Parts: sequence; C-alpha cells; structure tokens
Amino acid sequence: MAQHKVNYTQDGGLPIALTSVDKIVNWGRSNSLWAMTYGLACCGIEMMAAGASRYDFDRFGTIFRASPRQSDVMIVAGTLTKKHSEFIKRLYDQMTEPRWVISMGSCANTGGMFNTYATVQGVDRIIPVDLYLPGCAPRPETLQYGVMLLQKKIRANKAGNAQKAKRLM
Amino acid sequence: MRAYKPKDNVQAKAYYTDRFYVAPQVPKSAVETDEVFASDLEAIKAKFEVKDAYIQVEQMVIYINAHDIYGVLELMRDELQYTQLSEMSAIDWLAKDNTFEIFYQMLSMTKRKRIRVKYFIENGQAVDSVEKLFRSADWSEREMFDMFGIEANNHPFMKRILMPYDWQGNPLLKTYPLEGDEFAAWYEVDKIYGKEARDIIGPELRDTARVDRYDSERFSRLGFEVPKGTKITGDEEPHVESYQEESGVFMVTKLDKESSKVIDDPQR
Amino acid sequence: MAQVKNRLTPFFENITFDRDDNELVLNFGPQHPSAHGQLRLMLHLQQEQIVKAHPDIGYLHRGMEKMAENMIYNEFMPTTDRMDYIASSSNNYGFALAVEKLIGLEVPRRAKVIRMFLLEINRLMSHLFWLATTALDIGAMTVFLFAFREREYLMDIIEGYCGARLTHAAIRIGGVPLDIQDSFLGQLRVFLDKLPQNIKDYEDLLDSNRIWLMRMEEVGTISTEMALSWGCTGPMLRASGVAWDIRKEEPYELYDEVEFNVPFSDKGDNFARYRIYMEEMRESAKILYQCIEMYEKCEKDGQTELMAHAPKYISAPKLDIMTQNYSLMQHFVLVTQGMRPPVGEVYVATESPKGELGFYINSQGGPYPYRLKLRAPSFWHTGILTDLLPGHYIPDVVSIIGTTNIVFGEVDR
Ligand code: SF4
Repeated sequence: MAQHKVNYTQDGGLPIALTSVDKIVNWGRSNSLWAMTYGLACCGIEMMAAGASRYDFDRFGTIFRASPRQSDVMIVAGTLTKKHSEFIKRLYDQMTEPRWVISMGSCANTGGMFNTYATVQGVDRIIPVDLYLPGCAPRPETLQYGVMLLQKKIRANKAGNAQKAKRLM
Repeated sequence: MRAYKPKDNVQAKAYYTDRFYVAPQVPKSAVETDEVFASDLEAIKAKFEVKDAYIQVEQMVIYINAHDIYGVLELMRDELQYTQLSEMSAIDWLAKDNTFEIFYQMLSMTKRKRIRVKYFIENGQAVDSVEKLFRSADWSEREMFDMFGIEANNHPFMKRILMPYDWQGNPLLKTYPLEGDEFAAWYEVDKIYGKEARDIIGPELRDTARVDRYDSERFSRLGFEVPKGTKITGDEEPHVESYQEESGVFMVTKLDKESSKVIDDPQR
Repeated sequence: MAQVKNRLTPFFENITFDRDDNELVLNFGPQHPSAHGQLRLMLHLQQEQIVKAHPDIGYLHRGMEKMAENMIYNEFMPTTDRMDYIASSSNNYGFALAVEKLIGLEVPRRAKVIRMFLLEINRLMSHLFWLATTALDIGAMTVFLFAFREREYLMDIIEGYCGARLTHAAIRIGGVPLDIQDSFLGQLRVFLDKLPQNIKDYEDLLDSNRIWLMRMEEVGTISTEMALSWGCTGPMLRASGVAWDIRKEEPYELYDEVEFNVPFSDKGDNFARYRIYMEEMRESAKILYQCIEMYEKCEKDGQTELMAHAPKYISAPKLDIMTQNYSLMQHFVLVTQGMRPPVGEVYVATESPKGELGFYINSQGGPYPYRLKLRAPSFWHTGILTDLLPGHYIPDVVSIIGTTNIVFGEVDR
C-alpha cells in the first residue's frame, strides 16, 4: 500500500485546464467505471472483498451496480457453466456501449481446473473479453490492478469512435 | 495397433497395477457387536426381508429389496427414530452386472446412529419415491434422475435439477466421459448462436498442458507482451507495463515511487 | 459494436401469459446481487404475496463428483476448496477425514490441534461473511464494512499459514503439511481479544434496529418437523429447536476435549438464526483460546509430528524423501499412481459452518474413488425455500435467502 500527496495547485496552478474533448471524455469514462456485480463463484467473493473495507474499490471510482443497464464494465468473476451461459449473453447485450469485460480468475479465462462437461471453457467463447486476470482466485489487488490497466486501455482509445468489433462473430 | 479401451467405463484407470496386488478390505463387523443396531435390525427384520447387514466404519449397512424401501424408511422414521434422510444417491454398476445400487443415508439424532439402507435395481427400472416421508428426497431424487437417469415413481416433479432442461445424457454414468460428449461440447454455442457459428467460434480447447509461445491469440509472454494476433518472431522488444502513460494523464498526478510511503504492517 | 446476433428469444416469450387469475410470475436471478450466488427463483405472486416458489439451481454445477472419479485422492483435495468457498478448510477437512476413516489412520496430536485452529478460524470467517452479506442485503452497509474488516484479519492469519486467501487446501490426508508460522498465535490472540468488542458492535447496530427487527422477527419460520424432513442441519436446525451439533454429538478431532456450548433456539425464524450465528462466533473464540493452550502444551511435550506414519498411503517427511531411498520410491509411487485405499465404503459427516458436510466414498481398491458423493448442507437449505417462501412477501425473500446462508459452490457442486 502506498500513500502519496496530491498537490492540485502544483501542475496547472488555478482550477483551469485546457484539454481536448477526447481526453476529457476518456478521463470521465475511465475514472467512473461502474462495474456490474457478476459474482459467479469463489472469485466473486474476492471481488466483494475488493469492494469492501480494506481494499476499497470506491477510490477508483468503481462502484458495483446490480443492473447491467447502469454499468460500464462487466467483471465476470467465477466459473461460467453451460447452464448459465445463456444469461451472460443476455446481460452483456443489455449493457450500454461503450462496455468492457474483465474476465477474472482462471475459470472465466479458460475453464481453469474444471475441465468438465458442465463448464464453458472460457467466457470468450460467448462474449468478447478485454482483460484476463490470472489466478485462482486472483487477489483483490490483482483486480484493482486490472481495473487500472483497463483505465489505461480506455484512455488509449479515441472517445468518438465506436468500439471496434472484437473477436467472435 | 491402438490399445483397447473399454466403452462401458470411460473413467480414469490406474495405468499400472501389480499383478499380485490384492486390495485389502475395510473391516466389517457383525451387527450383534452393537446393541442399538442389533435391536434396530431385529425390528426391520420382523417386517421386511433383509438380505445382508453388517457394520462398517461405525455405521450399519443393510441391504433390502427394492420394493420395500418405502416401508422400511417409514418404519425407521416412525418407530426407530431415524428422523432424517441425510443423503441418497446411486452408484453405477452397469459395467459389472447392469444394475444400479441405491443408498439412503439415515440419521437418528436421539440414538446418535447412522444407518445406510441399500438395494439394487436393474437398468431401466424405477425406484419408489420416498418424497412423502422425507421432503429432502424431493431434490435428491431429482438429482439422481438428472445424473443417472433413474426415475422415481410418484415423484411430484421429475425433472432435471442441476443440468439444463434441454440437456442430453446423464453425466455421472460411467459411460459418460468427464469432458462431456459431442452435445455438451457445443451446447452453449448451439443455444446462443446456432450451429452455423461452430466454425467461427471453434472447438473447445481442453488440453490443460498446452502452451504455445507463438500463439499470440491465447498466450502472452511475461515482459514481452504484444497485441493480440501479432506474428511472433522471437525477437520482441521487452515491454514494461506501467499503470500511467509517460506523457502523464489528464488531471491525475503521476505516482512517484520515491516519495510515497509504503506501509508494510497490514494490522497497524 | 453492432449488436451481435444470437438465437435467444426475449425472455418473456418463454412464459405463458394465458392466465385469467391475477397471478404474476416473477423471475429472480440467476444473476441477482442478493441471491448469494446463482440462485434462480420462479415466484408466483398474488399481489405482493408469494403463492408458489420454484427454486432453480445448477447454475454453478461444475461436475465435482465426476471429477472425483477421475482424480487420485490427493489430487481431489484442492477441488474440495471450491465447494464451500467461504470456509475452504472445512471442506478439505471433511474429505481428509473421510479418507482417513477409510484407510484407518490416526493423525498426530499436533496436526489435530492445527486442524482445529483452521476449522474454527474458517467458521469465524464464514459467519462474519454471512453477517456482512446478509446485513448488506437488508441495507445495513456499515455492518458489511465492519465485518469484512474483521474477516481480513483472519484472512491474513490464514494467508500466513498456507499462502492463499480463499482457496486454502491447507489440510492433507493424514495430517497437515506445515506447522503454524511464528506470528500465528500472536496475531490470533490479538484478534480474539478484540472479537468480543467487535461482536458487541455489530449487535449494538442490529439488535435494536427497527428495520432489522421487522425484516427478521417472525419471518421465515421453520418448524422442527419441516427442518428435519428437509434434512436441515447446522444453524438452520438449531434455530428450529434441535440442539444437534456434530462436534458435540459425534466428536471428531479434539472437540471432545474442548469446552463449548451449542446455542439453540426454538423460534425458528430469521432472528433466531441471526442470534445463533452471533453466539457461535463467541463459542468459536472460546474454542480457539483452548486450542492455543493445547498447542502450547504440544510444544512443551515435544510432539512435533505433523503427518501420520503410514508408508502405504502417505509420503514420508521431506527430509526422509531426500535422504532415504525407500522413502523416495514410496513417494514416487504415491505421487504418480496415487494411494490405493482398501475396498469398502464410508460416510463421514462433519460440522461445517453451514451444517452437516458429508463425504460418501465408495472405494474399489483402485487409486480413483469409484463413487464419491458430496453431501452439502446448502443443497437442502435451498430446497426448503420451496416450502418456506409461500405466504411471505417479496422483500422477505431476500432476508430469508440471507439467513439460510447458502453458498452455491456447495449447492450445485
Ligand atoms: S478461478 Fe478458482 S477461485 Fe475463481 S471461480 Fe474458478 S475455481 Fe473459483
């Protein structure tokens, strides 16, 4: 854990900043990533821990929302089974663009240790994924680092452009 | 020639067994060695045929006839104080003699004893539901139906419980492979996108040990990450992943590692 | 990105509306933040009142029983973590105990004490987590933050022991792999000394809170007959008037040497269950204090063994493997082929934080179990919703699901 001082008067001086639309839109998007609670299994518990008192996800502007219609990023935390696969597609379709997907844990990435008849071997068979977090279960720090990388990815995009179609259909 | 693989049991097998290996047995003792069990067994024997009974690992096991099960459990619940059905399920012996073995795990809280009631049924035969006696059997029997395809007579709602309603196959049969059959492999693709999407999405990758450093679609080399789909030549530039861009981020102060304080006692 | 085409029909087309009464079918889940995982409930409503409930499970069915049939015994241990992932060590323990009973092993005393530590810490973690999530569902955000804070301290202790926060795999068949770390006892003592005050804080926030009482009292009442008939165990059963705790009635490990009470209530409602969870935390703390004493006594008596000695089934200590030829050979065979327990079957029940966790193992003398049935308490605690929910109102659903304390890794396995 690290503490550092933020000195707002240092860089620009007064609360006036000149910037481009791209930057300000991306700044807004990347710093208020509302995540959809998609705790499917054990990883979901670590996702909750990331949002709880010690790890405090609110610092990143990330608040968990229960509804796909209010959220920007879907954190698929846990094992996706074949029975559930239909619903993840439905919920993904309900999210508004721009939307991102983080696949958390090896189950969501590849099926992980559950190499069985009932698990989908990676959520990217069903929805496009932006970020894969390895681990079983990944620590809350990993998830937070993942969100930081996602913010970086968002900043690298042009805000006006429609999202490019990712793999899959 | 390819090695012969039995089709009736496709589960993992020991790849080597010593020719002279004789498996030891978990010791069984006679029912008479325990008073409580002995009297329980007497009570059951008085009304029903008991084929075999012994005590193994502190629990009594009795074998009865398939059609007696409702009566036996009713007797045990009402007269012998076995008030809880902890568990019931089946064991697949189809490869051996085309039967299923069904077991019911009973618990008496007043006597602190557990009894396992067992019987055999033929393949295709249905069991009698005990859902009227123990509500917990409602879900257990559905699970058994789901996993083995054994139906229960007089069950109020005989449908799959763990697998989807439109699933094919009974996963816990020994003939069902761990990784699923053809239907299971394409289940989610067929259901969501339709059969024509199979070519685009591709088959499942089930090889857990597969590592291919030239495949940038699925693997990345730590410290040498490249964008997805790049052709790997082997002389990639080292890639340092940092949270913030060099040019700085709008309205966010850059983290200075030197001047930040690291707290290493989490319990402070 | 253009909307990707799919074949799924809109959901309402799956439901028929040709009723002439005013019954409404409400779908709840499988992705619902207060469903504690992936529970799906089809509720038939008359206005706000539920007339029929149909829980649909299996959204987390991962095929663990099938996996067990294809894995050697030691290999299956990490999979048991993922059953009740809030308290992983209790699953590890249940499985280890079942196999030990099957092969007839006696575990050294020091290992037993360490196992007791792990089990009780897991119970505390599980109950704290239960409190946090249930309070959150009912709207008590503060309690959620408080309880998670305490849980993190326990997580630190466990992490120091086994290196993992959630999926411990900290118990082996025949003992435990490691001795506890040096800071373990100290950290645990600090935590335990603070715990009574913490529990009191939660109670101060909740016990006399009007909203909490209204959502809890006289809601979700389970009668004794219903609890027995549905196979309820653990706090669910104890809240319904049966003081049945396997730790007390069929003691395993060293539970017959420690002093603790079994709290129970005959009310059977949500509030009774909440009280029982709180009391059980206090009892766990009591047990942990006694474990500390037992551990220190082991230390004094020089009992250092951590694994049982049974060369046919258990690898020798690392030092022997590295120095003695025979131990190395044994180890090699046990790792590559797996241990071969005797032919027979065993059902062992342990008291996990949620209730009776049972493992039924049928061994045919091979390195793979022929059949392994996991008896998870939550399975039946979900089933009881069928009979419990009718007559209640929609908001009660959330509080009832909360107090049943179901975990879906365990329900669906
Ligand atoms: S990756 Fe591991 S911890 Fe996460 S859901 Fe899968 S099994 Fe559970």
